Amino acid sequence: MHSHFAALITFALLVSVVFAIITKSTPREQVQYGVFVFLAFVAAALVIGWIMYPFPF
Amino acid sequence: MLKEDSPNAPVDPALPFTDGTGQRAVLRIQSNPMTAAVCVGGLLVPGLGHLLLQRWKRGGLLLASVVLMFVMGLQMEGALASPPNSSELLSFKTLNAFANVGVGLPYLIAMGEGYGEGVATSPTADYGWLFLVVAGLLNYLVVLDAFDIARGRKP
Repeated sequence: MHSHFAALITFALLVSVVFAIITKSTPREQVQYGVFVFLAFVAAALVIGWIMYPFPF
Repeated sequence: MLKEDSPNAPVDPALPFTDGTGQRAVLRIQSNPMTAAVCVGGLLVPGLGHLLLQRWKRGGLLLASVVLMFVMGLQMEGALASPPNSSELLSFKTLNAFANVGVGLPYLIAMGEGYGEGVATSPTADYGWLFLVVAGLLNYLVVLDAFDIARGRKP
């Protein structure tokens, strides 16, 4: 896997699955929380990436 | 959902109750040997603790997620840290090795087969290292979750 974005998506997906399973009890809660964590990971990475974009180093 | 977080949880953890979403839940406290087996098994194989507690779907998903993350880390040519020697105990390598060892048998197999060397010049080596570290740390959380279930703190 040589795409950083693909690696980011894979990382977010796997971690959100584990977080959802170990923090919530019912399947409905797990799905809701897993989707939230996944989107939060991706959104945070994109926002931080754009904030760092103008940095010269 | 910890038992303490649920206002409907009975004083006797063996009694059924409904959790915050209206789902019926029963807390089953396991014996001490079973709890130890759950923790040791979970440390050796990701998700095995949940499988021993007959949480088949949870255990399967956790096993797949953690092992897939570990294998992808190796595929991305990340490096595994070997256990530190006595002169390296107070170093970053100790933390790195602690995180890597958390994944259990896959770590031992990878080290034994020589897959953990890593390629520092690879463009994905840093990502691979991160995947390997996080896989081990996630498995520690998975074992703690299995412990909570075994002690009747969580359905």
